[in-house]
Formats: sequence, C-alpha cells, structure tokens
Amino acid sequence: MSQLQTRFFTDNKKYSVDDVPFSIPAASEVQELSNVINKLLEAKNGSHSQIEFDFLVRGQFLRTSLSNHMEAEGISTEDVVEIEYVERFTAPQPEECMMHDDWISSVEADSEWILTGSYDKTARIWSLEGKAVMTVAGHTDVVKDVAWVRRDGLTSLLLTASLDQTILLWEWNSERNKLKARHCCRGHAGSVDTIATDPTLATEEEEEVEEPPSRPRKKQKTEQLGLTRTPLMTLSGHNEAVSSVLWLDSEEICSASWDHTIRLWDAETGSVKTTLTGSKVFNHISYSPLCRRLASGSTDRHVRLWDPRSKDGSLVLLSLTSHSGWVTAVKWAPSHEHQLVSGSLDNLVKLWDTRSCKTPLYDVSAHEDKVLCVDWTDSRVRHHLYSPGETTHI
Amino acid sequence: PLPPLPRPHPAKGIHKCRKMGQDIRNTVGNVPMEWYQDYPHIGYNLDGKKIFKPIRNKDELDEFLDKMENPDYWRTVHDKMTASDIRLTDEQVDLVHRLQKGQFGDVNFNEYEPSVDFFTNEVMIHPVTNRPQDKRSFIPSLIEKEKVSKLVHAIKMGWIKPRKPKETTPQYYDLWAKEDPNAILGRHKMHVPAPKMRLPGHEESYNPPPEYLLTEEERLVWEQQDAEDRKLPFLPQKHSCLRAVPAFSRFIHERFERCLDLYLCPRQRKMRVNVNPEDLIPKLPKPKDLQPFPTTMSLVYRGHTSLVRCISASPTGQWLVSGSDDFTVRFWEVNTGRCMKTLEVGGAVKSVAWNPNPAVCLVAVCFEHTVLLLNPSLGDRLVVSSTDQLITAYEPPEEDKEQAVTWALSEGLEHNKGHRLTLTHPKAVKQVVWHGKGDYLSSVMPDNSSNLQVLIHQVSKRRTQNPFRKNKGLVQCVSFHPLRPYFFVATQRYVRVYNLIKQELTKKLMTNCKWISSMAIHPGGDNLICGSYDCRLAWFDLDLSTKPYKMLRHHKKALRGVAYHRNYPLFASGADDGSVIVCHGMVYNDLLQNPLIVPVKVLKGHQITHDLGVLDVTFHPTQPWVFSSGADTTIRLFT
Repeated sequence: MSQLQTRFFTDNKKYSVDDVPFSIPAASEVQELSNVINKLLEAKNGSHSQIEFDFLVRGQFLRTSLSNHMEAEGISTEDVVEIEYVERFTAPQPEECMMHDDWISSVEADSEWILTGSYDKTARIWSLEGKAVMTVAGHTDVVKDVAWVRRDGLTSLLLTASLDQTILLWEWNSERNKLKARHCCRGHAGSVDTIATDPTLATEEEEEVEEPPSRPRKKQKTEQLGLTRTPLMTLSGHNEAVSSVLWLDSEEICSASWDHTIRLWDAETGSVKTTLTGSKVFNHISYSPLCRRLASGSTDRHVRLWDPRSKDGSLVLLSLTSHSGWVTAVKWAPSHEHQLVSGSLDNLVKLWDTRSCKTPLYDVSAHEDKVLCVDWTDSRVRHHLYSPGETTHI
Repeated sequence: PLPPLPRPHPAKGIHKCRKMGQDIRNTVGNVPMEWYQDYPHIGYNLDGKKIFKPIRNKDELDEFLDKMENPDYWRTVHDKMTASDIRLTDEQVDLVHRLQKGQFGDVNFNEYEPSVDFFTNEVMIHPVTNRPQDKRSFIPSLIEKEKVSKLVHAIKMGWIKPRKPKETTPQYYDLWAKEDPNAILGRHKMHVPAPKMRLPGHEESYNPPPEYLLTEEERLVWEQQDAEDRKLPFLPQKHSCLRAVPAFSRFIHERFERCLDLYLCPRQRKMRVNVNPEDLIPKLPKPKDLQPFPTTMSLVYRGHTSLVRCISASPTGQWLVSGSDDFTVRFWEVNTGRCMKTLEVGGAVKSVAWNPNPAVCLVAVCFEHTVLLLNPSLGDRLVVSSTDQLITAYEPPEEDKEQAVTWALSEGLEHNKGHRLTLTHPKAVKQVVWHGKGDYLSSVMPDNSSNLQVLIHQVSKRRTQNPFRKNKGLVQCVSFHPLRPYFFVATQRYVRVYNLIKQELTKKLMTNCKWISSMAIHPGGDNLICGSYDCRLAWFDLDLSTKPYKMLRHHKKALRGVAYHRNYPLFASGADDGSVIVCHGMVYNDLLQNPLIVPVKVLKGHQITHDLGVLDVTFHPTQPWVFSSGADTTIRLFT
C-alpha cells in the first residue's frame, strides 16, 4: 500500500506534536491517525491519556480513508499533506433531566438560568443544576416561546409568548425570587409562536405570530410605558404562518415562514429588503454573527445554510442532510463559527460542523420523543424535548 | 384417268430456253416428279407421243447387289427429272470434290492473281477529267434545307415524337406476380419444418454409463408413474455388447408417436406482432417532475383509543379535528402533533367537518341522531367571539314552522365545553358537510325506504329543508359544488347532480361501481372523484360525459376516503389495504385538454386493524400535505 507524506498541526498547544513530516499509509482512517497522534503524544509526554481526535484536510473533515478523501477532494498525493487535528466532540450524555408536567415548547438559556415555556400554560426558570426556581404563570393558553430580554444584577426581564395572542413581559428578581408582570403586549390575531429580542437594545422587544395564512401579518412591537402595549410596527408580506423571527443586527429583522420564504426586513421602515425562496416550509432559522450565515430547518429533513446578503435571493450554500424527520430547531454555536446544532422530530439532536456536510459530528439520542427546540450556552449544548417533557443539559 | 397437265411455271420459259439444247428428254418442266410416279411416261414429245421412262425394275435387292458389284456405283446419281441413272465423268467428280472443299469450280481460275489498281488513290497532277466542280457541290442544298425545315416544323408541332430511349434494364417475367398466396403453391412459402426428433443421448445407448442407469427405487417410481409424467419414455438398459441387444420392442409405438407428432404439430406460422411493451404504456411525466407532493410520513397524532373515522382540517391549516369510535372529538395542533382539546360526545363520531369560512370558527360533528355544532375556541379570539355572537344573534321568526329536526342552543356546562347548537334528527346521521360559504350544511341519514335522507340546514336562520320528494336509492354521501349552486348526491351506483336554484336534476353520472363509498369535488368544480368499495376510483369530467373519464384500480381493497387538494393539482385516496395513494390530477383551463392523471406516491404507515386500514384522508389547505386517519387509532401526516 502506498504511503503519504503528512504533516500534523493543531491550534491546541496542549496536544501539539513536532512539525516533521510523517509517512502514513494512504488507506489509514481516522482511528489509525488518532492512534498515531496518541503515540506521538505519549512519546513526548509520559502521562498522556488516550484522546480521540478528528482530522481536517484542507478545511474538510476526514470521514473516509485518507486516499479516498484526497481523491474525492482532488488533492495531489505527491506533496506533503497538511493535516489539522482537533479533539473529537464526543456525544454528550444527559447531565440533568428537568421534568415538566407537559410538553416543552421552547427553551432559552443564559449563563446562569434556563427559561422554558411549556404546554401547561406556564414558563419556568431553572438553575443550571436543574432545579426549578420559579414558575411563571399568567397566560391563559399554551406558552409557545420565551426569551430573556436583559439582566442587570439581580433583576431580569423576560418575555413569554402564548397561544392566547399575548406576550407578557415579566420582571424577575433572582435574589428575592419575586416575579412581577410588567406589561402585556396585544395585537396579534393568532397565536404568538415566536419572539426575538434585539441583543443590542435592551429596551426593545420583538414578537412574531404564527397565524392563519388567510391573514398574513407579522408584527413587531416595541415597549412603551403602560400596562398594555400595542405594536409599534407591523411587518406584513408573508402569505402564510410565520414560523421564526430573529434580529440580524439592530437594523435588520429576519423571518421565516410556511410560505417557503425567508424575508429580511428593515427595522426602521418595515419594508422587505431581501427574499430568500426555498422549496419547503421553514420551521426555524438561526443566524450566526461569527460566520454571517443563516441556518434554516425545514420540513424536507435538511438543514440549509444561506447567505442573507446575497442579492439573487436563492443561494443555498450548503445542505446538511441526515435527519429523517422535520427539522424543528436549529441553533448556531455562540462561540464557534462552524458548529451548529439541530433538533428534529425523529427524536435526535445533531451537532454539525459546516466543514463536514455529509455527516454530523455526533447524534444525541437521549430523547424519547420529538425535539421541539434547542439552545446553546457557551461551550454547552442545551436542548429540549417534547412529549415526556424532558430537558437535557450537558 | 388423264395425266395431269403440265402446269405453267414462272421460271419455265427461261428454264426451257436454257435446257433446250442440252436435254430434251424432260418435257414436263420443273414439276414434282411424284406426279408421274405411277405412270410409265414423263411428258410428251413434239409429236404428241409419250416419252417413256427408262425401264426400271430394280428392287431393293437389285439396288444392294448393284451397290456391292458395280465399281462405279459411287459416281452414279439418279436424275429425277428424267428418272435415269447417270454416271459422272472424272471431270464432274473432280468438280464435285472441289466444290465440296470450297474451291472455285473452274480449275484454271487463279484466285490469288495480283490486283491491278485501275484508279489509284494517289492524286495525280493530271486528273482523269478536267471538268470544273459543280456549283451544287459547294453550296448548301435547297432541297435538303426544305426537307430539314419540314422535319423541324413537324418536331416543333409535335407530329414527330423523338425516339423513346431504349430501356436498358433487362425485363424479366415475374412468374409469381399473380399468384394467390392461399393457393397450394403459396403455402410452400409459409413452410414450417416439422419438429425434429431429439438426438439420442447417453441413456439411449446400449451400454450407458452407470449414472444413467436407474436404481431400484427409481425404477419402481418410474413404473408407478403415468406415461405422461415420466421423464424418460423407456428404461435405460445395459448390454455387454451390441450383439446382445434385442429387437426394439417399442418400434411400432414410437413410429406411431412420431407420426402423431408430425400430424398434430400446429403447422401454422403465428403472425406475431412485434410490439415493444414500452410503447404500449402511455407517455406520462415522471413523478419527480410533478413535485411537490407528500412523500414521507412526518407526524403521528396519537391519543384516540378506537378507530378514527373522520378528520377535517381548519381553513387556516393550523388545526385538525378528528372524530373517533371512542366517543370523542379531538383537536390537534398540526405542526407539533399536540392534542389541544378532547371533547366527549354521546356516541361514535361518524363525521366531522370544519367550517370552510375562515371568519367563522365552527365544527360540525355528527354522531347517532345528532349533529353538533362546536366552537373549538382555537385560533383568533376575535373570530371565536364573533362566531358566538353570530349564533346568539338569532331571533326566532314570528310563526313557527314544523321542521324535520329540532334545533337546540347549548347552555351551561355544555356551552363551556364548546357545544353551541344541537340538531336532533329523526334518524341516525352518517355524514355532515358544509357549503363553501359556511352558512349551509347538509346531513345524510341513509334510509332506503323514505324520502327523508338528505337535509340542508341554514345555521344563521336555524332552518331545515328536505330538498327531495322522492327516494332515489340509498344515499351514501352528498357534497356542495364549490362555486355554483349545485348539489351532488351519491347513491349506491350513481351520482346525481341537482341544480338548487332551478330545483331539477341536471346530470346523472354512471360510476360503473358496485357501491360508492366516498366522493370529492375538484375545487374548480368541473371534475369529481368517486371511491367505491369494489377497489375503484372513478374520475369524472363533468363537461365530458356521464361516464368515468378514468377508472383507477390501484388499491387492493375497498376505498374509504378520497380528497382533492384545494390549491395543488393533487388528489388522494385511502383504502382498507392501509395505504394512501397520492395522484397528480392536473385540470387544464383549456376545455380541449383532458385532465392529466399520474399516480405519484403510495404512502404506507397505517396498520390494518380488524381488516380496516385508512378510513379518511384530507389535505392540508395550503401545503402539499395529506392527513390520513386509520383504524389503528392514529392520524398520520404525510409531507
């Protein structure tokens, strides 16, 4: 079998090896390469313990044998191959299981607290250890989405959106564990399915409706003083239910809908800037400010990456295909520009790396039923599932 | 008898003059001498006396003896003219010899004499004559010119045709051109050779290899078998040498069978039409090009405890209602599969129908003798409250008319559960269906013996009408036309189309089915599909004919439900074999173009319980998704 000249390098100082070319059998796969690195590290450092590595050749994850990969990528086998290696992400085990009485519709986490909305008409605040701290009860119907708005010190502002067509703004003092409903936002003619807050302006909030396709409308509301708020601006243009909304930055809003389009709106004027057209219903979108890509989960089982700045409006950069059910949730990693996590109705949560579009990095199959939403905190994945009401936190 | 007179002969005079001096013995001229055969004389002399033939009394024997003995016999010739023998002289014999060799008769003639060139080809300086040349030898001839111009004129006028070009291809006579192919000769062309006899194999050898010999058991089996079943018609036998082979005992039998083979062989050539089977299939577009259509099962709505008979989607596509035999009606959120509400009713739910008007939030449910109008309180609060207002705003008319059903407003606990109006029918209700505007609904009470089978109710006025005076058969299902005031009534074998304004029967569709189970009207209103319990789906083009435009027999078992999509060119059918078949059914605006029907997908997922599979199918109002409810207590969404 032929041999290949390779050079290994890594960003992680902890696992760096000498910068000398090695001769590696061309048929070797990830496991053999990983063994090679481990041997080298052991020779360098006696107390090294076995670690699984993943390998990148020219920015693409190695998934087959080295020769097959290079043939597929069209890399010459004559030169010295530069191989980057990173520590492998192993499939996480559920650490905590938070039991809700009913299905959980949404989850949002910040660095200390987790906020969940449930079909039992309440939202709950949990500590990172999985202890229920507070139950937010006030809606007359199912809570569909929740969001943190702002936190200064011990006081937090949070939003809950519900099927009863209202959004409630709550103020929560974490020390005294006291909750006060501050405002009620009305204006939607259907159930409010998704809300998003502007990350830069803490005084502004945003809500979004899922509603009858016969009355297409999308509403944005901004907080004013008073108990009941009405929308500041209504963004209308979608023909069918709006499934997801988010802020790209403080001037741009992005929304995905069941009418197969993703639209970018100008927050100042409320007009459509760009329309991205897909072929299937969009369930959820997520935006990463690091790589400036939109990820969309749709009913045709693919996760697609879009460039929101492209003018022609129909450019799919990448399709990630591995789910076997509707992709109900996608979320970019807040600190990693290549990683995103997706949840699907096939009970799986998958972690993807955009450098490996064929297969996900790992599957989390701890759920027994449909996954409705996922969220990340820094270097941690939190995801969330549906019918038995489990929240798993790694 | 008188001898024949000499006949005049054209050459007689000349002949005579020439021969006069030489031969006077022949006076009869050049006539056949046979005329004088039986006479002793030939002609007459100048004195009128007969000239007698020389006496000839030679017979054959004399002739022979003369030939043998006369040394001059070979040079003796018989002159028929004078009937005398002449002995040729030496000169004469010599002449004959020369003529026979092809030489000149005259001995002295020298054929190789040098020729004398009287008129030399060389031009002499002194010509033989010094006559000047004629003028006509160097001017064009006027006579020729006249002749030529005449010919040219004749050719121009077409009197003279140019000569036909000669056909150079050889012409053959086609011997078989006019032959009748059915005649005996024609059959030779269609000759089918007799089947050949199989060549003898090893087992027919007098000394076959041992593996061809039958063992004892095989022999017993062979003997017990019928002659037709035997693999070999004989038993292989082993003989030590060819000399020991006995006479072939089956010879007569085998010859007889061979004759039978030849005699009974079908000696007719089969005129097989060479048709590519691919060409017989109609050209249909590939299902891949007809997307979107549902392809995979996405969601399962679980919760019912008995078979789910009927489903209906809300006009917004956000909610789904289902009725089951476990006496409950459930409301589902479509995109998550969450059961939002469960209502208990007092019987197995036979049919549910969501009001198609998006401004009204009402669901009609029928069970036993009751049609119940529910307000599920899902969706827009404004719509929900305006629906309640619409119902409570009713004012009873001045004079009460006797109605076929009793209308009752629900109050108290039932009102809180969502019940709004209860219509109590005199008989068990099987189906309830809304009109497209959402104010009228129709209920079906199948009964073979009365005319009270179909009722049309108006919700806003709480009025009930019985549109039919006569019983035309057991009504299976009814439907409103989506656009025009037509009403479709399906009995066991026919679909009747009534005009509600003129109150008359406009059409009667023959389904060719044994028993119709379900019916759906195309949103355009000009097409209709009918499912039947005998596994067929009939597509009617109402403009085309009262017979089915297409009959689809894709299902293995009885069809239970059919549905059209409101926007996409799709229709679906669910059957007892547990499958839903989605077909592309494109209807063109062009009246001349027939609808295009392509089956695109078989969706499986439902388990068959108690021989029942899929009981109802319905499409999502906006997306190309199909819901199906089954006897396995689940509802499934295919996207």
